[in-house]
Amino acid sequence: MKGIIGKTAGVVLALGILCSTAACSGGSSQTAASGPAAGSAAAGGDGEIKLALWDQSVGETDPTAKILPEVVSQWNKDHPNIQVERTGTTGEQYKTKIKTALAANEAPDVFYGMGGGSFMQPYIQAGNVLVLDQYVSDETKSKMRSGMLSGCQVNGKIYTLPCYTHLANLYVNTALFKKAGAKVPTTFDELLEAVTKLKAANITPAVIGEKDRWPGMYWFDIMAMRQAGNDACIAAFKDPAKFNSPDFIEAANKMQKLAKAGMFNSSMFSMSYDEMLAAFNAGNAAMLFQANWVNAGIEDDSSKTKGNVEVVIFPVFTDGKGKASEFYGGGQDGFYINSSTKNPKEAAEFLTYLSEELGSKGYLAGAGLPCWNTDSLDTSKLSTLDKTDAKLLDTGTSFITWWDNILPAESAEIHKNLIAELLASKITPEDFCKQMAQLKATELTF
Amino acid sequence: MNSVLSNKKAICIFVIPTLALFFIIVFVPIVVSSYYSLLDWNGVGRGAFIGLKNYVEMFTSTRALNAMKNSLLFAGASIFIQLPISLLLALILASGVKGEGFYRTVYFIPVLISTVVIAQLWSKIYNADYGLLNTLLKSVGLGYLAQDWLGQTSTALAASFVPTLWQYVGYHMLLMYAGAKSISKDIYEAARIDGASSARIAFSVTIPLMKPILKVCLVFSMIGALKVFDLVYVLTNGGPFFTTEVPSTLMYTTIFDTYRYGYGSAFSVFIIVECLAFTLLINKFFKTE
Repeated sequence: MKGIIGKTAGVVLALGILCSTAACSGGSSQTAASGPAAGSAAAGGDGEIKLALWDQSVGETDPTAKILPEVVSQWNKDHPNIQVERTGTTGEQYKTKIKTALAANEAPDVFYGMGGGSFMQPYIQAGNVLVLDQYVSDETKSKMRSGMLSGCQVNGKIYTLPCYTHLANLYVNTALFKKAGAKVPTTFDELLEAVTKLKAANITPAVIGEKDRWPGMYWFDIMAMRQAGNDACIAAFKDPAKFNSPDFIEAANKMQKLAKAGMFNSSMFSMSYDEMLAAFNAGNAAMLFQANWVNAGIEDDSSKTKGNVEVVIFPVFTDGKGKASEFYGGGQDGFYINSSTKNPKEAAEFLTYLSEELGSKGYLAGAGLPCWNTDSLDTSKLSTLDKTDAKLLDTGTSFITWWDNILPAESAEIHKNLIAELLASKITPEDFCKQMAQLKATELTF
Repeated sequence: MNSVLSNKKAICIFVIPTLALFFIIVFVPIVVSSYYSLLDWNGVGRGAFIGLKNYVEMFTSTRALNAMKNSLLFAGASIFIQLPISLLLALILASGVKGEGFYRTVYFIPVLISTVVIAQLWSKIYNADYGLLNTLLKSVGLGYLAQDWLGQTSTALAASFVPTLWQYVGYHMLLMYAGAKSISKDIYEAARIDGASSARIAFSVTIPLMKPILKVCLVFSMIGALKVFDLVYVLTNGGPFFTTEVPSTLMYTTIFDTYRYGYGSAFSVFIIVECLAFTLLINKFFKTE
């Protein structure tokens, strides 16, 4: 019996190893087939160039998922010699897929990279991504909105082109403000005043879905930017010790002051992001600080607040260094080119076309705010909120994207947890800043 | 057929497919995780070998210890609250009440519903603004008791215990019910002739004879509580301020939000060892008794 068990174990072990190696090789050969081998290797032939494109726009409700195939097929029609083959993979899987492919040097010619954050940073530093400076003409540059290209640069070199962007602003339910006799705030004192009036009228001044923690982070981050100014924030990302300074302590102090004044819903720690939007759209709160992706929900026919919501810039602090033209958001999600592509010129040409088309068409479909000139576009069908956001974008002089994209993953988590503790008054503004000073510096270059 | 089944080679051949499958999808990942737990690894590229440092960190971090404490509390609640309720229901049903089949089905329904649905359902019941629980309290004049059940540190943990206890009461009830039903009628008859009351029969006849099934229930309930994930993840995601965090949700956050694959793997190994240890302990306890 012992012998049999031993044999069985041996066979099982061998089988296991066989299966796992088979699985491995199966996986990699598949990646290879859909990598540049399928794209640029097939280039020779009859002078036709093939480019492989990978993206993550496959969601049913994602406006980009509709536009992207249209843009690609239009390009293929116009350029019979440069054919683009598109492969879409859903979000989280896409991240794994592109990471693996880049590490194995089997990435496609053109691919989507979660931009404006730490996602692409290691690959840019490792030289996996093509520098685009020589391929981007001045004409292309002139079509972009000012400041948009800087977000695509790392160490002064262009690695991607912008498509569209998002901006966080203050959403105000004017009907509720009117009912409470409050004025839409433009300064911190006015904000406090509005909170008192709204509270007196039994209206929740603002909602936060703090169960998910990032909605609260948006509030603190904009307040820190208003108090310390964007430049000081950027300096602090590079050297977190600078978070332990009077400006950031004052920002934390103001945040706690608002929380103590009853600005936020008492149920914030059990409310999720989705519930927060539902509550605001149902008219249960007067203010919301979020990015323009909430526009569609507010303007939806099912929303009670439709037509009553205005989007305004976050109040300026009279004692702060931040200006009204400094915005939270403005990060860019863009496409990148593999540095080992065989047809860099054609790939760059396609990238330019794709980015511009996606940027303008995506804006019209409500996917995001445009990074390109929109003068020639028919914007009559866009909602007022979208148009106002686009106008606000034009007034921007400085943008800082979501802090949890800027900070390294673990520090970003700590940052969000600390803000939750600040909101619950479990921590003093001084301790908050002391702990913020312990974070790791950003890996991004500004 | 008998000759085939007594042939040892044949037994091996029949067992191999399942064994191989089990080996590949259960045993290999455990070994791989154990190895990962010794690394400082962010999931991309190569990890650095750091020995037992992840485990040292795990047993010194207050957040991790709190998560372990929570899962033990969870296990305690399962054993001392959930199982007695299941047992009571099983005994009542098995004693042949009217509509036995109907009640059996009703109590079992929550088990059939996905935990995510249960968690969503309860998060709506607990909702501070429009939740059923607060509305009920207010309508019976207990409005001062209405609160944000899942949003405050004092009530969140207890509130997140209730749904799981509630969901699996039916499951354990069914196991125990089957156990009670399989006891021979003759024994009951003899007890009745001896003049035993229903309570007496339950304590002196039914429960002692159900010992094997009670052991199974105890093990299932214990392990289920120690590795609970989906319910807590949906209901509170470990919040507010980690008060409802259990090792499995902490493992998830560690790996997928902070990219610390090594430290997260240490949690997975801890959960496996913990479950194994308690199973052995329960088995031993039942053997000596």
